[in-house]
Amino acid sequence: MAVNSELRTFKNAAWLGWQMEANWTDPFLFAIYSVVKPLAGTLILVFMYLVITHGETETMFFSYMYVGNAMYMFVADVLFGVTWVIHDDREHYMTLKQVYIAPIKFETYIFGRAAIKIAITSFGVLLTLLFGVFALGVDIDLAAVNWPLLVVALILGLATLAIMGLALGGVTFLTAKHAMGINEGVAGIFYVLSGVIFPITILPGWAQTISKFLPVTYWMEGVRRGLEPGVITALGPTTGLQGFSDLQLLLTLVLTAFAFLFISLGIFRYADKIARRKGKIDWTSAY
Amino acid sequence: MEPAVETESLTRVFNPKKKKEGKSVTALDSVDLRIERGELFGLLGPNGAGKTTLLKILSTLLLPTSGKAYVAGFDVEKDFQEVRKRINMVSGGEISGYGLLTVRENLWMFTQFYGMKSAVAFKQIDTMLELFGMVDKKNEKVRTLSTGMRQKMNVIRGFVTDPDILFLDEPTLGLDVNASRVIRDYIVEWVEKKPDKTVLLTTHYMAEADQLCDRIAIIDDGKILACDAPDTLKRLVKTSTMLKIDVTLLNNKSVLGEIPGVEKFTYTDDPASNLTSLKFVLQDESAVSDIVSEIVHSGAKILALRKTEPTLEDVFIKMVGKGFE
Amino acid sequence: MTETWLLRNMRAVRGRAYPRIIGSTREPSWVFFDVVLPLLTVSAYAYIYKFMKAPEEFVGFVILGGAMTAFWLNILWSMASQLYWEKEIGNLSLYLMAPISRMSILAGMAVGGLFETTLRATSTLVIGILVFGIALSLSSPVMLIVVFVVTMVALYGMGMMFASLYLLFGREAYHMSNLMTEPIYLASGFYFPVKALGFWAAAGSSIIPITLGLDALRQLFYPSSVSEYGFLAIGTETLILAILCIVFIVLSKLSLDYMEKLGKTSGRLTLRWQ
Repeated sequence: MAVNSELRTFKNAAWLGWQMEANWTDPFLFAIYSVVKPLAGTLILVFMYLVITHGETETMFFSYMYVGNAMYMFVADVLFGVTWVIHDDREHYMTLKQVYIAPIKFETYIFGRAAIKIAITSFGVLLTLLFGVFALGVDIDLAAVNWPLLVVALILGLATLAIMGLALGGVTFLTAKHAMGINEGVAGIFYVLSGVIFPITILPGWAQTISKFLPVTYWMEGVRRGLEPGVITALGPTTGLQGFSDLQLLLTLVLTAFAFLFISLGIFRYADKIARRKGKIDWTSAY
Repeated sequence: MEPAVETESLTRVFNPKKKKEGKSVTALDSVDLRIERGELFGLLGPNGAGKTTLLKILSTLLLPTSGKAYVAGFDVEKDFQEVRKRINMVSGGEISGYGLLTVRENLWMFTQFYGMKSAVAFKQIDTMLELFGMVDKKNEKVRTLSTGMRQKMNVIRGFVTDPDILFLDEPTLGLDVNASRVIRDYIVEWVEKKPDKTVLLTTHYMAEADQLCDRIAIIDDGKILACDAPDTLKRLVKTSTMLKIDVTLLNNKSVLGEIPGVEKFTYTDDPASNLTSLKFVLQDESAVSDIVSEIVHSGAKILALRKTEPTLEDVFIKMVGKGFE
Repeated sequence: MTETWLLRNMRAVRGRAYPRIIGSTREPSWVFFDVVLPLLTVSAYAYIYKFMKAPEEFVGFVILGGAMTAFWLNILWSMASQLYWEKEIGNLSLYLMAPISRMSILAGMAVGGLFETTLRATSTLVIGILVFGIALSLSSPVMLIVVFVVTMVALYGMGMMFASLYLLFGREAYHMSNLMTEPIYLASGFYFPVKALGFWAAAGSSIIPITLGLDALRQLFYPSSVSEYGFLAIGTETLILAILCIVFIVLSKLSLDYMEKLGKTSGRLTLRWQ
């Protein structure tokens, strides 16, 4: 019964998330929006690369950078999506308190909203990867893809992102509207420190140490090893995680994911308690 | 002098964006209205009658589909800038303003949109805060206010710019008795002290309209059904007898409406207290005995029976055939 | 336009700017988020240029572009789409009913947010310069101020034009703002010289004031890069920006009036939850 209730909450939250994301326009416009937005973000990096290499994209590093940037969409969208749910529901639609006092687990509601974000972003990621392969010569060979590694890494990573989003959501309870910079900032930390568009070996030593505590670092490596094993092999020690076998990588990802699960739940519950004490569940901070 | 508000065959139709979203809705249907300067005018009607739509047109937020509307002699369509200099509006349940500003700051901010000098604005604000018993709240952040306090602040916002014409759209909606009384008393006092000022008040609280208004227009389904002073409107139903009977829960009520001599009949069931309240407008007082017989015959018990003076609700029932339930 | 009209609108600008300014002092957590965190994205791009062994000025280009994103985001999110939230809260109808220009409300939002925005831009620039050891050589401080001012006026004029969409639309306009964030970074060359897009693409992008503004600023700070990476001459870019100032201010007035009329006709001007 409890499981049914959780599933129902999850499903309804996902449905609501889909409505919020998609029902503002007709399907055709939404499709265009869903195509243009991810591609535009990716092309910034492509042009940066083209300016320096004078048009050459069929290099190992370009593939490395391109795949990382495509996958990063999950990081940005999920983290942003979860924090935005709290902010949006509380400040704009003022429905947070009604959801909050309903006999559901609020965390499940958040996860449901995050799940739909992941689903929508998956479309953008796939599109970006296809564009990269067919238009820019990104090195992804379907025959060489390590599917088990890719699927496991992907699922673990996305679950970790949703969990981290929960912590940020908790922090959002306590901060004013402009603190949507939280998600920008945290996503930015991962962008710099997790080997998204350049290997962590280029960072100063202290930064590399931090990188090795971040689950996204291992996730990026795991996804790349799964999706473009040839590229990772070619780049060799420059990635910074060459000492990890695939299994060790996945185990590290699992461990960091669990660690973040406890941390995130702790942060969320603490923030929730403080928010209730200070009456911030239904406050508005717009200016 | 031109009237405060005048409309000529004012019509407003809302068309859905897409067919599947439903049919067109005629919110206002050829409304002709004239409100003189200095009146406290009421617009009475149930939810969806068109009150807010009318106010939105008069406050230049909405254009009519056809017809004309003039506020202080200015066309709301062409001369909207002139209209805006002379009006203000307060709605019930408003949540405008910014939660992290104090009450005083919030009110001051809105005065700036009317070009008031800060010194003048603050003086007005402080005076009104005192009148409304909110002096101790003036430095509190808006988001800490209770609903009643917030609405009082909203009402102050409407008055503080000293508009020639003030639109009040259900200003006491959801407020407790004390808060409502403070607001109503101030509205009456303001109009009395400033005979050139006009208030257009919409409400579906009959007693409020009856108490406050010089004249009332009854609106339903976008049409003005009647427009006159409250006493004159009540006299429209005075030739008929009003009867109210409270009985234990009664089945098969419809037969009561068919008794000869009954002009109009409505009822309200309250399952929690096992009561039914019956209201009759009678053409012939002799129908009373038939009504009582029928009730007794049905097995219900009569708990109270009274003849009443006509109220605005009775006027409304007579005109529209339904109450505000 | 009488003195009364001018005074009234200036007071309106002051009135709307006030909540923004007060908000930034009463909710100071923005300082951390707006000062430190934006640098992270900028750092990522700077590092990638370093990894690719790009010419040194490219890191400077990224820092400058990153600083200017503050203004672009202020326009998109704190001005244009802010009208959407004002509509939901119920403030929009009160603003529209008041005897003031809509541009005054928007100007108030822009002015009020200027402190936060400028601090964000400046901190990105300063910290970026210190962290990455950038050497900037300013060839003409006067020209820098001129370019910056015309860019901002034109940009905010364009922002007012965007804001007019929100008088008619709801979430469509909001999602358009969302859609425009990154494509503009691409089209305007926030992180690379816009010349790399090709002449015609860059010319098309020049309709967005920040394209030429950023290019001119880069040329001023890196005079040696002018011939290879500059799009048009600084003088030409400044002149175009000045023209865009006038164009966008006029267009924004027309657009605001037109959209308001459309909104009033269709009944969507104050319609919530669109």
